[in-house]
Amino acid sequence: MSMDGADVGSTPKRARTRLAIDVGGTFTDVFVLDSNGNQTVAKVPSTANPIDAIMNGAEAADIDWHDVDLFTHGTTVATNALITRNFKPVAMVTTEGFRDILEIGRGTREDPWDAYKEGTPPYVRRRDRFTVRERLNYRGEVIEALDEEQAREVARILHKRKVHAVAVCFINAYVSGVHEQRMAEILAEVLGPDVAISTSHETHPEIFEDDRFSTTVANTILAPIIRPYARDLDRRTSEAGYEADVLLLHSGGGVMTPATAEKYAARLAASGIAAGAIASKYFAELCGYQNSIGLDMGGTSADISLAENGHLRMTNKWEVDWGHPICFPSIEVLTIGAGGGSISWLDKAGSLRNGPQSAGSTPGPACYKAGGTEPTNTDANIILGRIGTSLAGGKKSLNRDAALEAMGKIAKPLNLDLVEASLATLRVANANMADAVRLISIARGHDPRDFALVAFGGAGPLHGVDIARELNIPVVIVPPNPGVTSAVGCMLVDVQHDVTQMFFKDAALADPADIETAFRKLELEGRDRLERDGVAAKDMTFQRFVDMRYRGQWRSLAVPVPGQVKSMDEALAIFHNEYEKAHNFRREDFPVEIYRLTVRAIGITPKPSFPKVVIDKNAKAVPKGTREAWFHGHAKAMTTNLYDRENLPAGVTINGPAVIDQLDSTTVIPPGDVAYIDEWLNIQIKLGAA
Amino acid sequence: MTGKTKIIELSDKGIQFPPPHSERMTVFKSELDPITFEVLRNAFVNIVDQMAEQLLRTCYSFVIYCRDFSSGLSDPQGNLVMQGTGDIAAHVGTLHYTCKAVIEDFGDDVHPGDVFIINDPFRGGSHFNDTRILRPMFYKGEMIGWSQANGHWADMGGATPGSFNITALDHMGEGLRITPMRVWSKGVWLGDVARMIASNTRNPSDVIGDMQAQAEATAVAEREIQRLCDKYGVETIKTAFREVQDWVEVLMRNRLAELPDGTWYAEDYIDQDPKLEEGLIPIKIKFTIDGNHAHYDLSGSHPQISTFLNAAYGGSFAGIVAGTKYQFPDLPLNSGLYRAVTVNVGEPGTVVNAEWPSPCAGFCSGPFEKLMNSVFGLWAEILPERTMGCAFNLEYLLVGGRDTRFEGRPYFMWYDWMAGGWGGRNGRDGFNATAPVFGAQYGVQPLEGQERLAPVLTKCHDFVQDSAGPGESRGGLGAEKGGSVFEGERIVVSYCCDRERSVTWGMWGGLPSIPHGVWLNKGTEKERYLGSIFSNLPIELDDVFTRPSAGGGGVGDPLLRDPELVCEDVTEEYVSVERARIDYGVVIRVVDRDLALYEVDEAATIAERKRIADARLGWLDADPEIIAAGYRSGEFNVMDCVRQYGVILDWGNGQLLANTTRQFREMMQRRAVPYWGRTLAVLSQEATERVRVAA
Repeated sequence: MSMDGADVGSTPKRARTRLAIDVGGTFTDVFVLDSNGNQTVAKVPSTANPIDAIMNGAEAADIDWHDVDLFTHGTTVATNALITRNFKPVAMVTTEGFRDILEIGRGTREDPWDAYKEGTPPYVRRRDRFTVRERLNYRGEVIEALDEEQAREVARILHKRKVHAVAVCFINAYVSGVHEQRMAEILAEVLGPDVAISTSHETHPEIFEDDRFSTTVANTILAPIIRPYARDLDRRTSEAGYEADVLLLHSGGGVMTPATAEKYAARLAASGIAAGAIASKYFAELCGYQNSIGLDMGGTSADISLAENGHLRMTNKWEVDWGHPICFPSIEVLTIGAGGGSISWLDKAGSLRNGPQSAGSTPGPACYKAGGTEPTNTDANIILGRIGTSLAGGKKSLNRDAALEAMGKIAKPLNLDLVEASLATLRVANANMADAVRLISIARGHDPRDFALVAFGGAGPLHGVDIARELNIPVVIVPPNPGVTSAVGCMLVDVQHDVTQMFFKDAALADPADIETAFRKLELEGRDRLERDGVAAKDMTFQRFVDMRYRGQWRSLAVPVPGQVKSMDEALAIFHNEYEKAHNFRREDFPVEIYRLTVRAIGITPKPSFPKVVIDKNAKAVPKGTREAWFHGHAKAMTTNLYDRENLPAGVTINGPAVIDQLDSTTVIPPGDVAYIDEWLNIQIKLGAA
Repeated sequence: MTGKTKIIELSDKGIQFPPPHSERMTVFKSELDPITFEVLRNAFVNIVDQMAEQLLRTCYSFVIYCRDFSSGLSDPQGNLVMQGTGDIAAHVGTLHYTCKAVIEDFGDDVHPGDVFIINDPFRGGSHFNDTRILRPMFYKGEMIGWSQANGHWADMGGATPGSFNITALDHMGEGLRITPMRVWSKGVWLGDVARMIASNTRNPSDVIGDMQAQAEATAVAEREIQRLCDKYGVETIKTAFREVQDWVEVLMRNRLAELPDGTWYAEDYIDQDPKLEEGLIPIKIKFTIDGNHAHYDLSGSHPQISTFLNAAYGGSFAGIVAGTKYQFPDLPLNSGLYRAVTVNVGEPGTVVNAEWPSPCAGFCSGPFEKLMNSVFGLWAEILPERTMGCAFNLEYLLVGGRDTRFEGRPYFMWYDWMAGGWGGRNGRDGFNATAPVFGAQYGVQPLEGQERLAPVLTKCHDFVQDSAGPGESRGGLGAEKGGSVFEGERIVVSYCCDRERSVTWGMWGGLPSIPHGVWLNKGTEKERYLGSIFSNLPIELDDVFTRPSAGGGGVGDPLLRDPELVCEDVTEEYVSVERARIDYGVVIRVVDRDLALYEVDEAATIAERKRIADARLGWLDADPEIIAAGYRSGEFNVMDCVRQYGVILDWGNGQLLANTTRQFREMMQRRAVPYWGRTLAVLSQEATERVRVAA
């Protein structure tokens, strides 16, 4: 199905086009922006081979690949392979005595209290993990030479087993790759060029063996999946007429070329999640907000991200399965089990709860009449008149009676009527989501009152204002196409590599010249990688970060430094300030140590520019009708204006209570709040502005 | 301050009795609307988790960093309102005690900006390292509750680095005891007090850093509670503090009411009291469910012992509560739970209710672990679908001395704990090398970090093949970790563990795993067995120390384990071909070791299983002296002794421990023998049937 989004102006023939496609688990979202500023969106079902959906999506959006300047792509291929464990077995070679580091990890459990909640096995089975005698110490000095005879014996067995890929992970290889390199050579000699061999010092040269091994192994298992995928995608888009490089969105919020993706396949592990966060930040900035919280809420879960001063929060540890970390920098996204399908229920003490169980898309909420009988958030929304009985432009009809019947399950024991029970359901659901936002904001020193909330995904605009009110967030932004916002995110990023080096030094004793030398070396490496991606020198920029901490602490803080560190005092001042901001206290007189240096190498890609719409001062919002709807703090149903979003011109103001319908979402404006359609056709809702 | 005199509820010190039916709350009705209640309940969880997040990011002690900490909110009486969802198990059930201790000592002399400190096990604490920082929370001048951040400091002074001193005659030899005292007064930092505390430890600057990090975590809670008061009104928050406890009580009572009434008994053992004749030290539990109430009685447990493996009442209460919580993982922990589940730790002066001034730094390796695993065993009879066998024992290896890599030869401390096997479960194997049940979030440290911080070279960190207790569901595998000091002097080693003799047991016919214990220079001429508890033992630069962590105990008769699963275990090299035959009676043929191809010899397996089934009862009656001699000559190894013959030796010299063996065999007669020959499916059906009849 194709649907026109906010088409603006006329459509001349053969405009040059930017194309972004985000492949998700259920749907593949397409966003097109042409050189005349016309936007097109499309949504097609995802397919077994995701590339089919990409080609279908392009067709649905009426794309001629010859016209496409740049195609960027977010994918869940890597994530799904890790979730479903659908990959070919690989082997691992490690230092003798450390065969099980990968399986032991830190040995922790996700739920410390439930012995019947299963963990997940390591990505490489024990039978496929081999050891050789070798050892470096923490200074990188050889204290036991690599036993080459044994190395060859391992290679012989791996050859006999016909392995596809091998990860070489030695202790202390983050200091020196000398033994890993030699082991890789021996393996390559025996196994030939078709077997991919990756080493931990190349993949992730950072301290802590379990994290490095796990990251290297994830990279090794994904390489044989990403390589043919990237090549096929390249081939099929080329055959269709696309001439430039496909750009793949990585977890860190940058893009990379297929060639790079083959080498750092595990950087794609959070590709899909990153896209939404990037788009959220973009729309907030468009509206003038440097601080924003993204709320991407779908049927079963909500993804929450945070940008401060125009920077998305990053994390260096990310995992699909508990205990198997991927330590490439990733945009930090908190996923919680709260969505439209989350079930409202009573516990044994009779207290009202919401989620994390979800009716999902099958059977779905009770109002779908597809077998679901438990009351969900969607059922509450339909009872309260916040969504109508017809969704997706009439393609899906909802049954309010079924919703009412389900809601009876909690209303009766709570001695509430069905409307009260529905309001209660939403209050609990929204409070849960607000608590999740608190963990990512207040708990890290950010005050939500300084932020805008960007609400998207199918259910985000339904709940956004209530959640914002819970957190005292003053404004909510709903982008033009909430359901395909993530696809927009794919288009908004640069080529980006993060190159790091461990650097252990007392800050007071560190020589700025040594730091400069190390940074220059990292920048050279970054420059090499950008060149391999075909980025022109004029489009390259480099950002520097120093990870520091008070001596004796365990976590470090990445502090951005502007160019050359001229004196340590300057770097320390930045650190003390950043530290206090994050943790509410500082220890000015206490020694600080440097832990790691990072260079973020960025290859600037041309960004699409979204056209502003000329605001017509005389424009009016014309409701298509009214409906009775209920809101918190108002005992009686209120007559609520209904609008179609496609008919709302820029510049109009709508006072709540109001409901704005569009194909992929519904936006609720409660009484007392005021919505404004801005010149990019975002809905900006100011809380309490009426 | 309020100006009013408070009524102080005195601490019960672990002596509790089931309340009469009239005092049991069975219906929950919130004075608040149900939605506000639910919102606030979640908000309290959120606040304690925010405290955890703050502490994790700012702490100095690597022990805290590895999650040996807890965070709590209490009402003005000190009763616990909420505790962190990722808190370490060994602290649960102690936060309200230490809060009450501060209240008892300071009464009304509590002001905005005050911060208190306490680590006293004789006032409900766990051990000295677990130092608690408490802040009274005020709203517009009214005192409305307490926030508490409890973290394990890496060193509390005393005679031994890390403050685990097995030779301590009393707590004075262990470290610094901090009775309730103030470290901030009305917002003013009491540097003199803090310096005195810090100066009695081996790393004063870290101690000051942790004190500030914990105090800041409590400030986070106060700030958030004030925000809630602004929004909902202070009376609502006070009501919610009370009602969250009521709610948990009602929730727990309703769950208990569905279970049969009855009384069950458990007995587990600490290895020894070196001052007494050899023999296991029994810890006894009588467990009763009476309607909607559960009560544990530890009376009759052994008198306190001469080592530090004693628990004061806080540590014992923690073990019971933590074990119970495993049966109800979704239940929040607060004082409401402690109304529905009561514990009588029994008469003072026992190993589970140690009196001043006994040493009890090792409560965690000693009584705590025994109580928690006993509770698992008790509940298997009531909720067989959640059965879990015994897990390996918490252990700490401490290597300390002077680090000659640096000028000034500073102190170094390599303070290491291991992951090990968890017990088998109903229809599922136990978890391999997992953090102790003492705290499943208590992650092991990466050795690359350790090698930078201390001059200790780790030589292995690997699974121990065959370490899992055999059973129809086997235990998880234990691991091994060891190494040597490469640059240092005046090196001493200490070890805090247990279960070298009271070996991690199997249940429902399952077999024990392997003993804990440290070895020096294993497999060489200079081999020495050091056992599972020792302090300040000098070693040299080339000495290699190592120790296994036990696997988990097996559950169900190992002769009934599916031979294909045994073959799978052999393929993964979790189990050797030899032990597959000895422990499981499964005969495995090696098809191609290079390709990891193995298969079951079915005919030989049937014959072998019959041979074992016919002989095994007799093995448990075999003359233990003959088995001991066989161990010394190499005919039997440690697994043969423990699993097949139930014989416990001094694993270093092979001398028989006759009393210990007698007790250990009695335990196997109780836990294993009666169940042999019946599958887990049948056994849990029978348990369910017993429960049904009793109900």
